[in-house]
Amino acid sequence: MNDGNYGDAAAVERARNGDRDAFRVLVERHASAVFRLAYRMTLNETDAEDMVQETFLRAWSEMRRFDGRASFGTWLHRICANRTVDFLRSRKRWQGPAMPDTDREYDPFRNLASAAPSPEREAQSAQTGAMLEPALAALSEVERAAFTMRHYEGLAIDDVAAALGVQPGAARHSIFRAVRKLRRALEPVGSGLP
Amino acid sequence: MKHLSEEELILVYYEEPDAPAMAQSHLSECAECRAAAGSLARELGFFDEWNAPAKGEDFGRDAWNRLAPALDSGREVGPGWRPVRIWAAMAGFAILLVAVFLAGRLSRPALPPVIAGLSDQARERILAIAVADHLDRVETLLTEISHDDSNAPDVFAADRERAEDLAQEGQLMKQSLALHGETATTGFLDDVDRFLIEAAHTPDRVGEKEIAELRQRIDSGSLLFKVRIVESNLRNEERKL
Repeated sequence: MNDGNYGDAAAVERARNGDRDAFRVLVERHASAVFRLAYRMTLNETDAEDMVQETFLRAWSEMRRFDGRASFGTWLHRICANRTVDFLRSRKRWQGPAMPDTDREYDPFRNLASAAPSPEREAQSAQTGAMLEPALAALSEVERAAFTMRHYEGLAIDDVAAALGVQPGAARHSIFRAVRKLRRALEPVGSGLP
Repeated sequence: MKHLSEEELILVYYEEPDAPAMAQSHLSECAECRAAAGSLARELGFFDEWNAPAKGEDFGRDAWNRLAPALDSGREVGPGWRPVRIWAAMAGFAILLVAVFLAGRLSRPALPPVIAGLSDQARERILAIAVADHLDRVETLLTEISHDDSNAPDVFAADRERAEDLAQEGQLMKQSLALHGETATTGFLDDVDRFLIEAAHTPDRVGEKEIAELRQRIDSGSLLFKVRIVESNLRNEERKL
């Protein structure tokens, strides 16, 4: 199966019937997006890669149950969000709160977008950049998951709620709390913001 | 003039449909709220600059190469990946904890030094932690079954698997509690297990009717409420110990 010749719908239909090659197309096409979501929720590259695997393993075993009401990408994100929230809950219980990767030297600037060349912008990013990842790490797992899906994935609150398996009101309040905490984390440099 | 709250401003920022209808007109008239909205947008804008680490073009192919062997075997994977069936892993840890407790009760003379060194009180605390954590996982599952708006069978499949894991875990908890003479908690876990087994044995093509019946079971017996109470009591006991 040639990746370029098939849209998701065709690949999904074939994968639903056990076509591994079609599923390969879907994995290769969606793995990076699933990784981004998982990384933003876990703040750990290795854990995020695990979640990619968990997500696709689950997707493969559940392919026949995928009813196509949502897009395949949305369905994958939902699986990933659920698995990652479970993972984060278990990690918090047994290993303490989420922390950035520890298997490499911690660089708070490493994940900042590079398209900010002006000196003023760089100075500003340097000031706030050091605070972004720790601020996200300080959120509860559900708050970070909800914020990630709303802010980075652009999911509506109702969809965030569905992904987290909670009522929309609960998802909304998780986002409110997350934003409040993130803003508070930026307060030390707040006066310097333009 | 009533100003917009931070929560209302967040809804406006994300263009949520349930943002107050008057928000835009208010913002056009109120400099204070306009400034607050601008401040919120600037601060959230900084988070736009934060990205996940970039993955190369081969990431998708690498992911597939590592995943492919696992598709047939279910859980075998290539090097560099850590397959985790979260609920099973947690159950495994709980089993380890309970094993420590059982070891103390059943085979004290042959205990390894570390376990032998545990006092009865320490073992009781371990058991309280294990059962409370088990109930915490049960609570999460019950909450998700109760509040998932989608009624989607594909979502429920994951719940079914977790219910099965938790039912097995519950059996161990009951054995340990029975040895400890905790008949009341054991009886309660019997009630929980009946629900878990029912959830675990729902058909593959579970429909809205079956999910509604499970929710009815949760509601009619105040199961979720009871789980929270018993878990809370165990946490208190754990702290005292």
